[in-house]
Amino acid sequence: MSGSRSKSVVIWAFVLAAIAMLSAPTIVVLGASFTAGNMIEFPPQGFSLKWYSAILSATDLRDAFFRSVYVAALNTIIAIPIGTLAGIALAKYKVRLENTIQVYLLLPFTIPLIGSGIGLMLVFGNAGALGQLWPVAIACCVINLPFMIWAVTASASNLSNDLELAAANCGAPPVQTFLYITLPAVLPGVITGSLLMFILGLNEFLVSLLLVDARSVTLPVQIYNSIRSIITPDLAAISVVFIVCAGVAVTLLDRLVGLDIFLKSK
Amino acid sequence: MSNDDKRLSTMISRRTLLHSMAAAGAATGLPMLGGTRAFAQEPQKPREIIVRAWGGSWVEALKAGVSDPFTKMTGIAVRHDLTEDNEIQPKVWAAVAQKRVPPIHINWDTTTNATKSALRGVTEDLSDLPNLKSTTELAKPVGLDGYPIVNTYGYVYVLAYRPEAFPNGAPKSWKDLLDPKLKRRIAFYNDGIGFHFPAQVAGGGKIEDIPNNMQPAWDFVTMMKQQEPLLGEDPDFTTWFQKGEIDAACTISTNAREARKNGIDIKWVVPEEGAKFDTDGLWIPKGLPANELYWAKQYINLALTKEAQQVWLDGLGLPGVVPGLTPPADLANDPSYPTKPEDFKNLIRVSSKVQVQNESDWFAKFKQIMQG
Amino acid sequence: MRTYRVAYPLTWRAMDVLEAFVAFVWPPSFRAAVPYLFLLPALILVGLLVLGLIQIADTSMRVLDRDTFLLSDAYSLDNYRRALTEPFFATIAGRSIIGSLIVTVITLVFAFPYAYLMVRTSSSALRKFLLVALFLPFFIGQVVRAYGWLIILGNQGIVNDILGHAGIPTLRLLYNYPAVLFGLVQYMLPFAVLMLAPALTAIPEELEAAAGSLGASWLKTFRHVVLPLARPGLVGAGLVVMTLSLTDFAIPAMLGGGSQDFIANAIYDQFFRTSDQGLGATLSLLLVAVGSLLVGVVFTAFGAGTLAMGGRRK
Repeated sequence: MSGSRSKSVVIWAFVLAAIAMLSAPTIVVLGASFTAGNMIEFPPQGFSLKWYSAILSATDLRDAFFRSVYVAALNTIIAIPIGTLAGIALAKYKVRLENTIQVYLLLPFTIPLIGSGIGLMLVFGNAGALGQLWPVAIACCVINLPFMIWAVTASASNLSNDLELAAANCGAPPVQTFLYITLPAVLPGVITGSLLMFILGLNEFLVSLLLVDARSVTLPVQIYNSIRSIITPDLAAISVVFIVCAGVAVTLLDRLVGLDIFLKSK
Repeated sequence: MSNDDKRLSTMISRRTLLHSMAAAGAATGLPMLGGTRAFAQEPQKPREIIVRAWGGSWVEALKAGVSDPFTKMTGIAVRHDLTEDNEIQPKVWAAVAQKRVPPIHINWDTTTNATKSALRGVTEDLSDLPNLKSTTELAKPVGLDGYPIVNTYGYVYVLAYRPEAFPNGAPKSWKDLLDPKLKRRIAFYNDGIGFHFPAQVAGGGKIEDIPNNMQPAWDFVTMMKQQEPLLGEDPDFTTWFQKGEIDAACTISTNAREARKNGIDIKWVVPEEGAKFDTDGLWIPKGLPANELYWAKQYINLALTKEAQQVWLDGLGLPGVVPGLTPPADLANDPSYPTKPEDFKNLIRVSSKVQVQNESDWFAKFKQIMQG
Repeated sequence: MRTYRVAYPLTWRAMDVLEAFVAFVWPPSFRAAVPYLFLLPALILVGLLVLGLIQIADTSMRVLDRDTFLLSDAYSLDNYRRALTEPFFATIAGRSIIGSLIVTVITLVFAFPYAYLMVRTSSSALRKFLLVALFLPFFIGQVVRAYGWLIILGNQGIVNDILGHAGIPTLRLLYNYPAVLFGLVQYMLPFAVLMLAPALTAIPEELEAAAGSLGASWLKTFRHVVLPLARPGLVGAGLVVMTLSLTDFAIPAMLGGGSQDFIANAIYDQFFRTSDQGLGATLSLLLVAVGSLLVGVVFTAFGAGTLAMGGRRK
């Protein structure tokens, strides 16, 4: 960054404020989870792991966590082939009505989440499928699918068409070209997209709130319901699970594809 | 298994023919304990049953008084679903309409909401519960045939306050909440439940005008909005009192008592305009498998025993529906624990029918004023 | 012939079978249909949303019967009349729209310097730190973050604790409009920065240096060089922040104390408190219409910005 001192001061002032805003809740939740007291307090009263042992024996929180993991995993597994193929089709082929298809595939972003959630609640409800977990996973997959497609198109655009033509020129049949040239080229995009899908599925709240009941409640909804009743430190402890998952995802993303990918201009 | 329970299971086996036939057949080889009639073997036990409950001290009390003894007695775990009562209602209705298994086994509900569900036909008949015969008149739902729901206790929406904030003595009227000193320091339920009727009186209207002319109530609520009250659900009141966020609230005494148990100085009164008295109950949604229905009924039956009511309602600090309960020591002669006819003198009761037909309008109206 | 077969690896043979199979079920003359085949599953999946919209439209024209609490079989536009004429809904819509405008402006003001520093810094460690500080909350989800703010801003929270030591009486920081807006700003920051960053990367640093060497102060350079060139990013980020905050549910629900509802909360209430699915569906459809209109207007006025195939949300 070049420029005067005043520029640095101004920019850093905003950035520091932003960092404080972004990090404060995380730090506070982390801190509160280690309290030895019975109330949420910060700074915490003494240090103890008692709330962590409390959540280990709290079957409802544990069950909700595993349900969230199941939803996140299933939604990712569905999104990988569907999003990858669609992304490749949009990035590599000439498609008629491409603009219309783009607008259509962006519907999950342009329809407000509450609208999507209510629509899916009515659709799954009339199909008699509510109360199970797979509709939640499908719903998460639908509303976040553009992330997957976007990640794949971004990396597919980096792949030169000539490479595929060269492979075909050397006599590689279409399936081989696809498996050995196209797929590896979009792999970083698939990894980025899958990680995004998984972590967004793990955190998904509003649509899940509309689709789940006590038998299928996922962790974010469980936390929301509990906060509405009484705020106890075990919620901080279970929230730390989300922080840890987020940390793992960020690390993986950085190791596998590099976070800088998000800074690239298209 | 007591004799009463056996009678219950016989009745159920008669009613739910197909499902229990097999069980009854299997039971013929069993020894007949004190009876000549064949009785059905206990239906298969589910791993758990799900009871919708209010959070905080409410669910704690239910757990101590009913759920834990039920688990001890039957080995069936009880899970408490803290989804709000208004929110579970459309979910249950949708499940019944779509012929799915409902999301809960038992709904702990306000009598008004429960009556709505009963009128819609989504509740199971409970009139064969053996322990019903030892309950008081309060247990019987008004305006419904039989027992599609069972009331389990009564309660009062009192004016709870922190004496510290009222140096000139206890508030006497709901109008005292309009004191500018209390701006942003008072709280109501987010749908205004419990406050509509006293507001009608405080606004200069008459109870008899409910529901046809409730303008006085809405005028009073509009004045109250200037105080920028907090709006929440049961456990919020406890939290807010404990954290010093509020000085006064229109809430069920249970929530204020919980904060008092935690060492906060809190008192409550029934102001001169009166306070709303109402009941809560339990009911079972239709669509459960026969064996789960059986055990859900056992749960409600247990909730009607004197032992269960004593512990459950000690926790809540509310008067129950079986005779001979001992009031908690701190609530003797308390206005929030009415037992004798004269205790009800200053309490407002509005017929269940009027409430059922109009309550969602009142909720909507209250929200509109507060959100405006 | 035989030795040749042995040298031919198993995977090749498998590939040959696969190629033959694909050539059989999908002869080269069908080649043109390949991209459509690839798109089909995604089109079907998103079709669920279209199906949902159709169901919402159907429900929105049915009126609740208060005696049976069932929706009418006959269609009517009564719910639309109510939604458009009752002042209550206008209040909620006004609060949401004004709120999302304020949130958009404030978020962009904070996101721009953040994205700028992240893109321009020569220190890769700082860039990594800024990226992690951005992604961590983005990945934690808004329920947990709102929960953190409840702890920080409560009457007995940290901020009031510090103010107390400074002799300032306890302030009500939660459960009001500013609290909701603040919560939304910090929820939206990662979205905005991530939409802005690619646009800023695309601006050559030399351009700024050139402006500086011609005597322009850094503020002037920002005003006349960087901001205009960053327009696609600002449009994309602004649009995403605006639509997401306009339609948010969790932050107003958790930080609003029950009296700061946004449109999504009003819709939720119609479905789950008043049990009036018809009116709830009407409000949902109107919100979808307003959202689409907003996106459409911005697209036609400013172009798709960085949103092309890369919009993002929660």
